Amino acid sequence: MLLLILPGSAIAELDIHDAWIKNLPPAVPVRAGYMTIHNTRANAVSIIVIRSAAFTSVEIHRTIAEDGMMRMEPVPTLVIEPDSSVQLEPGGLHLMMMNPAEPTKPGDVLQIVIELDDGSTQSLNMTVKK
Amino acid sequence: MNKSSIAIVALLALVGGASISWFLNSNKPVELEDGLWFGEQARALPEFELVNHNNQPLTRSSLIGKWNLIFFGYTHCPDICPASLQTMAEMFTAIEDPDVLEAIQVYFVSVDPERDNPEILAAYVTYFNPAFIGATAPLKKLTPLTRSLGIAHDIRNKSEASTNYDVDHSSAIVLINPQAEFAGLFGAPHDALTLARDMTRIVEHN
Repeated sequence: MLLLILPGSAIAELDIHDAWIKNLPPAVPVRAGYMTIHNTRANAVSIIVIRSAAFTSVEIHRTIAEDGMMRMEPVPTLVIEPDSSVQLEPGGLHLMMMNPAEPTKPGDVLQIVIELDDGSTQSLNMTVKK
Repeated sequence: MNKSSIAIVALLALVGGASISWFLNSNKPVELEDGLWFGEQARALPEFELVNHNNQPLTRSSLIGKWNLIFFGYTHCPDICPASLQTMAEMFTAIEDPDVLEAIQVYFVSVDPERDNPEILAAYVTYFNPAFIGATAPLKKLTPLTRSLGIAHDIRNKSEASTNYDVDHSSAIVLINPQAEFAGLFGAPHDALTLARDMTRIVEHN
């Protein structure tokens, strides 16, 4: 009897933890999101789109501190190398989450859906923190 | 009086005057852990007029009497501006001496006057600490202040109707002394505990 194990039939999800959103008062129409992403696969993956019912848009941006200046750059595709981690944290990579559908408060859990370049999607719960 | 007496009197007046001004100014030498202290090079600010988050004028004379920490940014900046204001709020929590706390005023000046009106600024800055004050002004009126402080800011990628754009801005927190002079600078990255210790040193030494 032959057991055929089809390669690639079980796509490992990205290992994401400590996903949180920095709270701001309702008058401000943006929030920043942070997390640690670990790619356990043997190949590089790219995050190409992020969607959320809780915001009108979610993009990945990077804060760059250079020569005493702060600027932000969009990161349209976030590549995570095999068996590597990428950190989204204050002062660096972050989610730019536009126009929250509801006022946020610490403790709220909001969901986003991450789409990868291989077409797979993964939903993620993010906790709002002060 | 003979010439040498005049010289002695003049010298005494000079030394006496210098001593009095030494006691009156806020520019004595201070060793900072992580910041620039201008000491005698502290320079007077030019006149300027912003509007604070209570819709009142914020001018050079508003700064007199306090050690003022001013951070420049904009409210649509979700990452670094909240982080910096959070750091300054944590600095307040870390300062133990109530006299030092009383002597410090934190300002957040928005370099994005089109989107940041006093109401938004009020909600934003008081979220971090109810004593923080937000302010802004049309870009033309911001320039006298920002230029004198070496603070740069640049609105990027903004089309006519766009409400979704970024603003590049300097990361330094500037220090204005109780005589409204540009007295020092804290460069990024900022640490709350280090800032607390440095501000305590500055206030206690002067």
